[in-house]
Amino acid sequence: MKVAQNRFSLVGGILVMGLLAGCVTPPPAPQGPTTIVYVANESSNSVSVIDGTTFEPLGEIDTLNHATHDLSLARTGKQLWATNLASGRVSVIDTDKKETIASIYTGKRAHVVTLTNNNKHAWVANISDNTISIIDTNLFRILGTIPVPGGPMGITFSRNGKFAYVSTKDKHVNVIDTMAHQVIKRIPVGPNPHFLVLGPDGQIWGTNTGSNSIYTIDPKTNEVSHTLEVGPAPQQIAFAFKGTAGPNAYVTVAGINKVIMVSANTPTPQVKGQIDVGQGPNGIWSNDVGTRLYIGHTKSNDLKVLDTGTNTVLATIPVGRKPIRVVASK
Amino acid sequence: MKTSRGIHRFKHYHGSLALTYLLAVSLFLLTIPSFSFAADEAVGSALNGIGDFTIVRTDGIEESLEGKGNLLLYEGDVIKTDVASQGLLEFSNGIQVALNENTEFTILSRWVKDQGFTRILRLDQGEIWVDTQGGPKPLEIETPVATAAVKGTEFDLLVEPNGQSTLTVVSGVVEFGTAFGTCPIKTSKISYGNRGKKCTKPKSVNVSPNIAWTEGIREE
Repeated sequence: MKVAQNRFSLVGGILVMGLLAGCVTPPPAPQGPTTIVYVANESSNSVSVIDGTTFEPLGEIDTLNHATHDLSLARTGKQLWATNLASGRVSVIDTDKKETIASIYTGKRAHVVTLTNNNKHAWVANISDNTISIIDTNLFRILGTIPVPGGPMGITFSRNGKFAYVSTKDKHVNVIDTMAHQVIKRIPVGPNPHFLVLGPDGQIWGTNTGSNSIYTIDPKTNEVSHTLEVGPAPQQIAFAFKGTAGPNAYVTVAGINKVIMVSANTPTPQVKGQIDVGQGPNGIWSNDVGTRLYIGHTKSNDLKVLDTGTNTVLATIPVGRKPIRVVASK
Repeated sequence: MKTSRGIHRFKHYHGSLALTYLLAVSLFLLTIPSFSFAADEAVGSALNGIGDFTIVRTDGIEESLEGKGNLLLYEGDVIKTDVASQGLLEFSNGIQVALNENTEFTILSRWVKDQGFTRILRLDQGEIWVDTQGGPKPLEIETPVATAAVKGTEFDLLVEPNGQSTLTVVSGVVEFGTAFGTCPIKTSKISYGNRGKKCTKPKSVNVSPNIAWTEGIREE
């Protein structure tokens, strides 16, 4: 009798536990952040939007201007700024609604836009006006202009935000004191210096698109610290890892249709490898963890997703005409 | 959907020709009020010129006005006066602008969804007087170091060769901002904008001497 009672209790207990298990919903598995990739299509006057994880196209945004060239994404991911070379205007895009919500005239041949480190201002380089326009990112109002002779092309800021670096067509990088809004130094670099970006080492990395080289500038001295040959017509740079190796600088080199991998964690940058990609690689951006590179190709009009661990192309996604710049959300 | 100098909003059309046409026309009609700053729409007129008063069009063509007249103005026009010259113009929304000698500005605009267009004058050098004539109208004056956002007012703005900008408000309120801060400037107050600095604290001023130069061009 005792045995029977115990068996009954055991069976009952299992049944109750089973019922409870059926009622309680297990907590959802954590999901990784969704990376959204934006591609500026210069000859389509648009921005392509792509899911950086599934590689599915999510839409195409009309910038309401002409010759969309450069992009800068706010830290919140909610606001995307786009320059339009032919219009001399920047477009402001609401990324949730995927629509252009403002159009602001800055100057002739508005080339690149970079948000200040606190995202309060957008700096726009106007090549033919020889100026930088400073825009309030809340009011969309221009608050001033900084004269930068020589055809301003690229902009980036130092880690502490004290200096802005502006490359100019006359083979220089101009150092601007961001508190005085004045050029305080001109650093000679190579022909047609174009793209500038802040590296993970705090150095300023730039490409001499008119020649074969890239360079780094030390913001402590505001001097060129290294120059390295990578191949003809280097375009843009992103930073990522190859397994345990890195961070590395990945440079799109349009003249040879390759991405050149350069060590960015050694005292002297060195070429570590090269990766065959598509026709006319230009814009390049890494996902937040540095395992994927998104590369725009201006001749084949597509975006390739590269796995940096194996250097293999995971996907090729058609975008608009002449994709020139790629950025991605964190 | 506009001329080659305007804005193309829509890119791809599919389906039959008739459907495409209907869709295109509908979309065109729906979108005209929201976004159209075509350079072929007049934004105002030059009304009076003394001495060398010139309008430089976006294609580089120069037109002058001597004495009273009605010379249409367009987006992108550069308005200039030379030594001992002045000009007076009026925008479509009634805002009047007078230029003192050696002055140059460009007619621009900003579009923001749900707010529409703001007329913008980019004042590179010289001195202008502005009267919004009857209530707030969207107008901003950009100088090399500051921006004056108008809230229904009459004011004078002088830009020195080094960019220093002096704002004198005759009546009303002007939001006077640099990249380092914004100051609301009220009636009979003066403030200065300098590169790398916030606009100065407003001070009381007798405005009459500052706008005396406009008497000639406004009464001609």
